[in-house]
Amino acid sequence: MKIKNTKTRALRVVLYVVLIALALVMLVPFAWMLSASFKLDKDVFIFPIEWIPKNPRWQNYVDIWSKIPLMAFVQNTVKLTLIVTFLQLLTSSFAAYAFAKLEFKGKDLLFLAYIATIAVPWQVYMVPQFMMMRSMGLADTHLAIIFLQAFSAFGVFMMKQFYEGIPTELCEAARIDGMTEYQIWYRIMLPLSKPSLSTLTIFTFVNTWNDFLGPLIYLTTESKKTLQLGLRMFISQFGSEYGLIMAASVLSLIPVLIVFLSLQKYFVEGVAASGVKG
Amino acid sequence: MGKTKTIDPAVVQKKLSVLEPCLERLQKQAEDEADPKKRLKLGREIDRTRDKIRQAKTGERFSRQAKRDMVAYSFIAPNFIGFAIFTLGPVIFAFVLAFLRWDGNNAMEFAGLDNFAMMFGNKRFLAALRNTVVYCVATVPFTLAAALALAVLLNQKIKGRNFFRTVSFFPYVASLVAVAAVWNMLFSPAKSGPANMILYNLGVAAKSLPKWSADKNWVMFTVVMFSVWKNMGYYMVIYLAGLQGINGELYEACGLDGANTWQRFWYITLPQLRPTTFFVTIILTINCFKVYDIVYMLAGGNTGVLNESAIVLVYHIYEEAFRNWNLGYASACAMVLFLMVLAITLVQFRGEKKYAN
Amino acid sequence: MKKRLASLIMTMAMAGSLVACGGGSKGNEAPTTAAAGGGGGETATAAEQVVAAEGQTVMKWSIWDKDLTLYYQPLIEEFEKQNPDLKIEMVDLGSSDYQTVLGTQLTGSGSDFDIVTIKDVPGYTTLVNKGVLEPLDEFISSDGVDLEGYKGLTDQIQVDGKLYELPFRSDFWVLYYNKDVFDEAKVAYPTNDMTFEQYDALARQLTVDIPGQEVYGAHYHTWRSAVQLFGILDGKNTILDGSYDFLKPYYEMALAEQEDGVCQDYATLKTSNLHYSGAFSQGNVAMMNMGTWFLSTLADKIKTGEYTDCTNWGIVKYPHADGVEPGSTLATITALSIPANAPHKEDAWKFVKFVCGEEGAEILASTGNIPALMNDDIAGMISSMEGFPEDEGSKEALQTANLYLEMPVSNKSSEIEIVLNEAHDNIMTGNSTIDEGIADMNEKVGAILAQ
Repeated sequence: MKIKNTKTRALRVVLYVVLIALALVMLVPFAWMLSASFKLDKDVFIFPIEWIPKNPRWQNYVDIWSKIPLMAFVQNTVKLTLIVTFLQLLTSSFAAYAFAKLEFKGKDLLFLAYIATIAVPWQVYMVPQFMMMRSMGLADTHLAIIFLQAFSAFGVFMMKQFYEGIPTELCEAARIDGMTEYQIWYRIMLPLSKPSLSTLTIFTFVNTWNDFLGPLIYLTTESKKTLQLGLRMFISQFGSEYGLIMAASVLSLIPVLIVFLSLQKYFVEGVAASGVKG
Repeated sequence: MGKTKTIDPAVVQKKLSVLEPCLERLQKQAEDEADPKKRLKLGREIDRTRDKIRQAKTGERFSRQAKRDMVAYSFIAPNFIGFAIFTLGPVIFAFVLAFLRWDGNNAMEFAGLDNFAMMFGNKRFLAALRNTVVYCVATVPFTLAAALALAVLLNQKIKGRNFFRTVSFFPYVASLVAVAAVWNMLFSPAKSGPANMILYNLGVAAKSLPKWSADKNWVMFTVVMFSVWKNMGYYMVIYLAGLQGINGELYEACGLDGANTWQRFWYITLPQLRPTTFFVTIILTINCFKVYDIVYMLAGGNTGVLNESAIVLVYHIYEEAFRNWNLGYASACAMVLFLMVLAITLVQFRGEKKYAN
Repeated sequence: MKKRLASLIMTMAMAGSLVACGGGSKGNEAPTTAAAGGGGGETATAAEQVVAAEGQTVMKWSIWDKDLTLYYQPLIEEFEKQNPDLKIEMVDLGSSDYQTVLGTQLTGSGSDFDIVTIKDVPGYTTLVNKGVLEPLDEFISSDGVDLEGYKGLTDQIQVDGKLYELPFRSDFWVLYYNKDVFDEAKVAYPTNDMTFEQYDALARQLTVDIPGQEVYGAHYHTWRSAVQLFGILDGKNTILDGSYDFLKPYYEMALAEQEDGVCQDYATLKTSNLHYSGAFSQGNVAMMNMGTWFLSTLADKIKTGEYTDCTNWGIVKYPHADGVEPGSTLATITALSIPANAPHKEDAWKFVKFVCGEEGAEILASTGNIPALMNDDIAGMISSMEGFPEDEGSKEALQTANLYLEMPVSNKSSEIEIVLNEAHDNIMTGNSTIDEGIADMNEKVGAILAQ
């Protein structure tokens, strides 16, 4: 018994050492961003890296608000991200329920259509898609970005995989109790899929928040542009203001981290704890 | 509109006279059939015929199956309509484009298989194809293993779990410029770069130190390492979510049998994670085939042009589509990429189905 | 409870923004009205809205770096003063992906751009090949525009005898040097008449390779133009020839300098993404060849106090091969075009003519940029710009003899450029020898030309 205890303890120590080492490696980019955000851009890429700038330039964090309309960009990005994430969660989990738990005609074919589009790089159909959107009068509107992002095949696929992990018996039992399929989705599937919904929320949020190419092609009016486009405004033809870019990037990371931190608590209570037993 | 309408007995009779013999025939066939697969198929047909008979008798407008279908479609519709218009449509158009010659402006011309023929005479395409496959073969297993290990580790009850989880997700969300800059700093081609310093102290001659992402022999290696490091946190999140779906009772039952940690992982965790692994593998493979920005940032330099030693398919597609406006050719390249991904996905699907049965 | 609140907020946000989006798309149908706002950022809209008065025509002009380029606003103001019935609305498509976005915007028939800026030659030929640009020859001949002032540049950008763009800005390459570094080493400054041998010797003379206090005699940015195009300045070869043996001596010079620590290692520069301005401003680079676009940036950053180690600088003409007139150098032009389906072609031409003409040139020069239409007065305006070096040599360096485009016009430009970039990278990183690299270029460009 004692031997086992020392062994586990030794294992624990090794575990923590590994984790801390990993964490350090993962944090290096952030340290770099932070350090660069306090530098003049001529010093950003100087090698070897000066991790703690001698004269930290706090001005960068002031300048980003005045050099570009950052506030408007943040508003636009927040708006787009919230709408897209909401639509994505709703429609994906809805559709995924049918794919995972219902039998219907054309199921495999429809699902294949979803998977197939994931495999096609966006660069290929970007031009026809743009021409179509423009003919609908959607060029240079936020609606275009919403349509572009909100109905992704990825969300449906992911939710379907997770729903398949939920025992079908639960649905059968509910059907016998007289619940409609909509009620089953709302009362059983949704509460049981918190971990996967959280995952999808995080991913959609991050993707929309960081999306660059979509807004680049579609949004040309400055007041409609997003944060990622704003960041590129510091990159000009003959030079890039990396100090400012990094300052803005550090700020733009904060919402993403908040979302991640606040949602990861759902990664602990799963089906095992809340579902099957009851 | 009511669900039932006045039943005309003559019509019902007429329908039944067709359906009932049909049912009998099917039932007989099923009895004689030896192959279980075919019998299953016949069984389904029998159910459908019975349903039709019932429908004819009650005079309902829709069969039960049709109703069930409609409920299912109503679930799918909100997503599918948007998806079909904004994604599927353009994708299908892109497929058609593979057989056309189009610069995005002038009239399209039919090109037959010219685009495909051109591809296999293009050195950059062949290099891109080779690099992409090498990249995928190297990246997928490593990322999968790293993500799974990380997820299992961070699903334990350990101190600072939330912190470690967040930190692992970090390289994925941090700005690519920053992540690439840090990586290229660690693997700087200069003698004074950290990685080369270590190699130098291990006795590698200064002249033969690798130049990492500027070295044609090392660039793919550097890119693979980078992408495993950057993306494992992302797939870890999916695995974490998957781990929450495992029924705790299974472990309890197993614990009574005196299974050790490794056995628990091998006999419970891993099989229970199958749907997640299936999903992760497919998404990971697809994302690897679609890799482009990582390579561009690491090996593109100031000109942003990728060499034959580092070029990947999607970069080649981008280059052809927007530098040269060969949209037909770019689509044909995408078609090749698509077919490769499809083949892999289908193999995985089959494996998954077999296992499920 | 918390969740419900969150979803309530989400729903409200959604409803609110859908309304805003509706407004946005409505505005899109009538881009000339002030309603084009929409979106969430009402605060920032005022600055960029072009409000058209009764009877005015609004023309869309695609540009990049709106806030960093000083001449856009004065050009527009002056033009609108002369043409009260015309209004110009700038659309910033961003610098880094400008050609991609512009190409996409001009695709098909739905574009409403009247004037587009063309960033480089490969981008120009691509758009011409695509058939989305209007030939300007008829406008030029009917208005009797004299192309003499462009010093032959307009001949170099003809495609099949037609001109689809008119240059308004023409940057050329000069040699920047840090006077402090020369003073420190007690070496005489470079001159406006140097051969490559003299230049190389001078660079080596200035080099210090003590670890920690390195001084680099020369600096080459990672662009191919910085080394490769030394080879075309004698006028005997062009970069589209398909035979590249003439590049060998220049690559030999650069690689030898790299080997001896005279210039920084290409591979390190490439992977660290160090910008040439960052390198020059460290104060340990003696000479750097770069385009004249760096003039105003350099002067400006010194004025604002960002660059402290290179405040004492000058420029001289490019080094030249034996027996070639000094002042032969590389040129990069920025030009204006009119899309083939521009809504107001006649009015757009008025703007093109204005910007590329003498009045436009003066406005450009007053902001420290080199206009395509160059004469002594204009050169004088640039060298009298605040922060421009005071010595006579630097003023004289603005006089050019022969200008060669960094990439000449050909419908194969963009394909050939990829090959050249790749070979340059392979040679400079040591992934292939000079001979292998040149053989590679010969083979691949030959294949492209044979198509």
